[in-house]
Amino acid sequence: MKSIYLKHLFTAMVLVLGLGMPTLLRAQEERTLGPVSGTYAITNVTVIQAPGRKLDMGTVVIKNGIITAVGKGIAVPPEAIVIKGDSLFVYAGFIDGLSRTGVIKPKEETKEKVKDPGNPPPDRAGITPQNDVRNFLSPTDKTVEDLRALGFTTAQVVPYGGMLPGNAAVVSLGGKSADEMVLASKTALYSEFTTAERIYPATVLGVMAKYRELYRQAAQAKSYESLYASNRTGLERPSPDRILEAFYPVIDKREPVLFKAEKILDVQRAITLQTDLGFSLVAANVKEGWDVLPKIKSGNVKVFLSLDLPEEKKDEKKDDKKDVKKEEKAKPDPEKDKLEKRKAEFVTLYAAQPTAFQKAGVPFGFSTLTAKTKDIPANLRRMIKEGLTEDQALAALTINAAQILGMSDRLGSIDNGKIANLVITRKPYFNEKAQVRYVFVDGVVYKYEPKEEKKADAKKIDVSGTWSYSIETPQGANTGKLKLKKQGDNYSGTITSQYADKEVELKTVSLDNNQLTYSYSLQVEGSTVNVDAAVTVDVDTFEGSVTTAQYGSFPTKGTKDPNR
Amino acid sequence: MKRKIQYILALAVLISMTVQAQQPKGKYATFALTHATIQTVTKGIIQDGTVILSQGKITAVGANVSIPAGAEVVDCKGKWIYPGLIDGGTTLGLSEVGSDSRTQDFNEVGDVIPQMKALTAVNPNSALIPVTRISGVTTVIAAPEGDLVPGTAALINLYGYTPDQMYAGFEGVVLNFPNTGRKGFFDRRTDEDIKKAAEKAMTRINSVWEMAVQYYKLDSATKSKGVGYYPEMEALLPVVKGERTLMIEANASKDIQAALKWVKDHKVKKVILTGVAEGWRVADEIAKANIPVVAGPVQELPTRDYDRYDKPYANPGLLKKAGVKVALRTAQASNVRNLPYHAAFAAAYGLGKEEALRAVTIVPAEIFGVSDKLGSIEVGKNATVLVSDGDPFETKTNILQVYIDGWQVPMVSRQTLLYDEFLHRDPGVTKN
Amino acid sequence: MKKIFYSFALLALVTFAHAQVERGNLLIKNGTVLTVTKGTFENTDVLVKDGKITQIGKNIAAPAGVKVIDATGQFVMPGIIDAHSHAGLDAINEATSPVTAEVFTGDVLNPFQVTLYRALGGGVTTIHAMHGSANAIGGQCETIKLRYGVKDGDGLRMEGAPRTIKFALGENPTRVHGGGSSIVPRTRMGVEFVIRESFSKAKEYMEAWDKYNKAKTQKGFRGTPPAYNLRLETLAEILKGNIIIHCHSYRADEINMLLNVCKDFGVKRLVFQHVNEGFKVAPELAKFGAMASVFADWWAYKFEVYYSTAYNAAILTRNGVVTSINSDDAELMRHLYHEAAKTQKYGNLSDDEALALITLNPAKQLGIDARVGSLEVGKEADIAIFNSHPLSSYTIPMITVVDGVVRFDREKDADDVRIYVDPTQAVDIATIQGGEQEDHCMDGAEDAFGKLFGLN
Repeated sequence: MKSIYLKHLFTAMVLVLGLGMPTLLRAQEERTLGPVSGTYAITNVTVIQAPGRKLDMGTVVIKNGIITAVGKGIAVPPEAIVIKGDSLFVYAGFIDGLSRTGVIKPKEETKEKVKDPGNPPPDRAGITPQNDVRNFLSPTDKTVEDLRALGFTTAQVVPYGGMLPGNAAVVSLGGKSADEMVLASKTALYSEFTTAERIYPATVLGVMAKYRELYRQAAQAKSYESLYASNRTGLERPSPDRILEAFYPVIDKREPVLFKAEKILDVQRAITLQTDLGFSLVAANVKEGWDVLPKIKSGNVKVFLSLDLPEEKKDEKKDDKKDVKKEEKAKPDPEKDKLEKRKAEFVTLYAAQPTAFQKAGVPFGFSTLTAKTKDIPANLRRMIKEGLTEDQALAALTINAAQILGMSDRLGSIDNGKIANLVITRKPYFNEKAQVRYVFVDGVVYKYEPKEEKKADAKKIDVSGTWSYSIETPQGANTGKLKLKKQGDNYSGTITSQYADKEVELKTVSLDNNQLTYSYSLQVEGSTVNVDAAVTVDVDTFEGSVTTAQYGSFPTKGTKDPNR
Repeated sequence: MKRKIQYILALAVLISMTVQAQQPKGKYATFALTHATIQTVTKGIIQDGTVILSQGKITAVGANVSIPAGAEVVDCKGKWIYPGLIDGGTTLGLSEVGSDSRTQDFNEVGDVIPQMKALTAVNPNSALIPVTRISGVTTVIAAPEGDLVPGTAALINLYGYTPDQMYAGFEGVVLNFPNTGRKGFFDRRTDEDIKKAAEKAMTRINSVWEMAVQYYKLDSATKSKGVGYYPEMEALLPVVKGERTLMIEANASKDIQAALKWVKDHKVKKVILTGVAEGWRVADEIAKANIPVVAGPVQELPTRDYDRYDKPYANPGLLKKAGVKVALRTAQASNVRNLPYHAAFAAAYGLGKEEALRAVTIVPAEIFGVSDKLGSIEVGKNATVLVSDGDPFETKTNILQVYIDGWQVPMVSRQTLLYDEFLHRDPGVTKN
Repeated sequence: MKKIFYSFALLALVTFAHAQVERGNLLIKNGTVLTVTKGTFENTDVLVKDGKITQIGKNIAAPAGVKVIDATGQFVMPGIIDAHSHAGLDAINEATSPVTAEVFTGDVLNPFQVTLYRALGGGVTTIHAMHGSANAIGGQCETIKLRYGVKDGDGLRMEGAPRTIKFALGENPTRVHGGGSSIVPRTRMGVEFVIRESFSKAKEYMEAWDKYNKAKTQKGFRGTPPAYNLRLETLAEILKGNIIIHCHSYRADEINMLLNVCKDFGVKRLVFQHVNEGFKVAPELAKFGAMASVFADWWAYKFEVYYSTAYNAAILTRNGVVTSINSDDAELMRHLYHEAAKTQKYGNLSDDEALALITLNPAKQLGIDARVGSLEVGKEADIAIFNSHPLSSYTIPMITVVDGVVRFDREKDADDVRIYVDPTQAVDIATIQGGEQEDHCMDGAEDAFGKLFGLN
């Protein structure tokens, strides 16, 4: 055995010398082994086929990605791989109505300064409705794995961009290639109230006006094209415009507009545009929709509510009596108590939003766009605590979402003929100790080991590497790269800024636990502007603010670029 | 030819008139202001009384005053006389055109620069000064702004051709106490960052104060001979000694509390709190510390979106009610003339007319240690008074005459001259 | 046929919008009623029905179920109108282009701003929520009523108020575009050119569409329509007289320039804003019929307002110019009654003249004087009640009524009036305001980074 190994090693070395490194790497790569069968049977399991349709001790059979049998006492096909479902629960895979799961953010190139900020190239203005999210998909992106681990099997995903980032698609959270992921393409024209950076439209004012203008121009172009098509002789040739063409299916109502509308005023503004222009509207990642319900209802707006909730104030635990310092003994502050109470009431309203929609009879799905993945199960429980029933929550995660997407023939319940998207848990899903054990996506199984309650390693964060940062100003975001190098226990680095020709050396950098601070100077019109940044790092993202002595502060965010 | 001469003569007269109209001069004499209602502030109201101004001083006040020979008698029947109004905090004289940094002299480079003297940079010829003084505001604090210790403020009278002539006898070192509030709309720092920045500033101030105390000890031990040129410390020395006032700007309630504690911990002897936008939140604590305040601006927005809408108007009244000694300020340059209206708002929303009047006259005079010269109509005080046709806090009241240090001030400003010229413009729409 | 359908749809829409507005019934008893237009009456009552004033007189009996406000010893005046404000807006300046006629502040209304409530606390009932002054031709503005408490921007709109648009001359547009982006205008010459160019293009556009629409009525017509352009559509509406220009301006020369441009293009509805040197060209303004909306006494915050006078409003009024006093500022807005009173000190205006500056005259400037701006039977019940004469500096606004609904009552005022609470905001952070006054027309165009990086 050993000698064979050595022999292989020898061969390998010869190969290295003779043929070079890549071969060696390939030689050592693990070969992915496929499953021995495409048929599975989950036996003896509690099947929640759809909200309100529960089957005890049932069996679910799936074959080549399709559910082929559901029921009691069903024969297990001989070729099936059997998953013993005793004491487990199976649900239809969950559907995310809006996110960027598996969507790659295009690399940011250093862009030339726009000469006329009032008339920028459309892509710089964030106007890229001709884009298709299919061109940016990656099944191996970590976000796919993370969301799937919660039981999500399907997501409507959208490209990155500005006010009109492009076309959405509904994808499976699995598969080997981008195309394999796609269940339906061009499912919606995705829109945001996102402004451009110091160029038109730099405010919501501009976004609203530009949206109207593009839409009406598209309607005009479309009608002229049909006139032209009816008889071309003697007519000016219409000039093709892919931006306007992207609106055609929306104008025909073959495709809805999917608007990110988080705050109440965003929802109202989206409805304003809908009223003015007449498209079908899906409002997504809605966080504050409860007061707009009458309008949502009368406008027949479809809704994906956000799974992102504001943090609850932690109850200060009374058990750390040990170090109650005398001077720290908080004086009673009735004013502050009153304010905290009002704030808490409001936080509750967010969690109660799904209940409000339910009561108003407005069906809704959920979206994960801005939710922290790890908070999603807890947020669902908070919503349930505020009056949503478990069945209603499940409906939002499954069948309602499928209906909004127009895909309930394939998705949203455990029924014969539907796509084999399943989530199998140890306890009912909305139980705090549910634990996802298996997820099926398109008939492919992903297995999860029972989790041990482990304490998070307080492992030291390493911030070295290149970060893409953005600074949010009322005029839009300022972006650049922050490069950090570690030398011993200390950091140094450089930063790029659109206000500097080349990289600027950081004056100071320091990391204290997850608190990163750095500072640098910019030369602006002959005067020095000192910028101090203080951010909190969460593995590969950070959030915080930058401060200038003269002009106050702005929030900043960063993400770490993947290592090459 | 004759015609030409006439024309030239007419022109000359016209020019001289114009010049006179534009640059009228003050008049220094003995004035007897008679038959007036005199609001002395400190000694009640005197009906049908006389005030004698002579040699720059008030030499007599009362109902039965004999008029000195040679005095210019000004019949003030139906008119009121008040002491000149004092604004406890402005940038008047230090700022001409708000958006043009070349005309602004209140913000020097450096975070701790007590040696920078506002008085030096006061521009006696600022167009803003006549606009202000003819409204009855005769005396203001001209204060530097900027970082932690931006310099030394000065009390100035609004008449004179040099800063020295204008100086009104008080200077105070300004300390901007570390701010845990937001600095206006664009400040979007996280709460954590605000706290950190404030802590950093606090450390800096403590170390500066410690140095100043060391410097003081060294200076005392060596009878001023053992210390080298150290302008910052020299400027702080009188503050440490308790000879000069420290004017601490603090607005958020937490900052006010921290400032009170700091003053106590460091045994700072002469202190005024300025701004105190949220003073009402901690009024009892300020009263207990027995530190006077210069509050304002009164016409301002609340500091928090959940605060009652009228808190800035009510702040002076609430402070006074708690037992705090309250003076007012506008914190302005161009519209210091509105000081009486800030006072009126404070009066209406709880301070009361009498206290509001004191807050722009005798109280600031006391706080700045010049109550022997200013702040009321009493014999021996400076001849700095206003004559009005009514309550000077009432909007439509006209200030008819202002005297500053005995000078009868010309009651014109560029704004009144423009009125005179343009009320009925000539030519009108057509030139001929 | 289609047209009929459209007007029907429009009617339905308007009716719908109307239905949403809350209208109240009230009887205000025994106050001193300052009608502004018809004199002042002591111990007089004002009856409000369904949001409108139905009767002004003595000893009016309260109809059953109608709320009665005892105004004995108090002063009842028309709700104050601010012809220049940026309150209630989420964005003010689309500062990226010298011409942005297509944008509309009505798209960015924010009914949650506490500023709106605070303005009610100053007796204000209607404001002109304006685009900023970064551009020579800025955005369209919305006239809103302070129905604080509604949760939808639509609930603020003063339905049926004429369309208005912001123009701006002088330092702001030249600094932003010429100074910031090296784009015309960098000078006052450029500002004139930009406006003339825009009007000329709009005229061409309008004519092209007229021609096309006319041709289209011919049987068998086939042809290319002019390319739709929202900016030119809007500008064409100005030329047609359907949009009132409200122009930020300071210096006499630039005011005169816009008068000439408007004369050349036949534009008649013109209001100058700030117009600090309006007093210098008051005869020209009067002759044109242009109106002026000014500060009572703000000056010296920038060079183009250095040669100002607080007598501006009085000089304009005496020369026959319809003049109002505006705030452009969330604090100043709270005491426009006091700002108006300053014209009695600076120019001896009568009580009615001074009050008209903040009621009837701004209503005229916004084209809503048939509905609001005075206390008259038939007008909308926007009413402010003061504890003493509103022109006294000691007065306190007590109750403010919009459409017959009490929106502010000092006696019942709660400390915390926020409608929405930000669930992420710490509860005890104070915002300390800066001292010096300045106009807020550049808000958003001059954020910190703007100042830092070249907008200045």
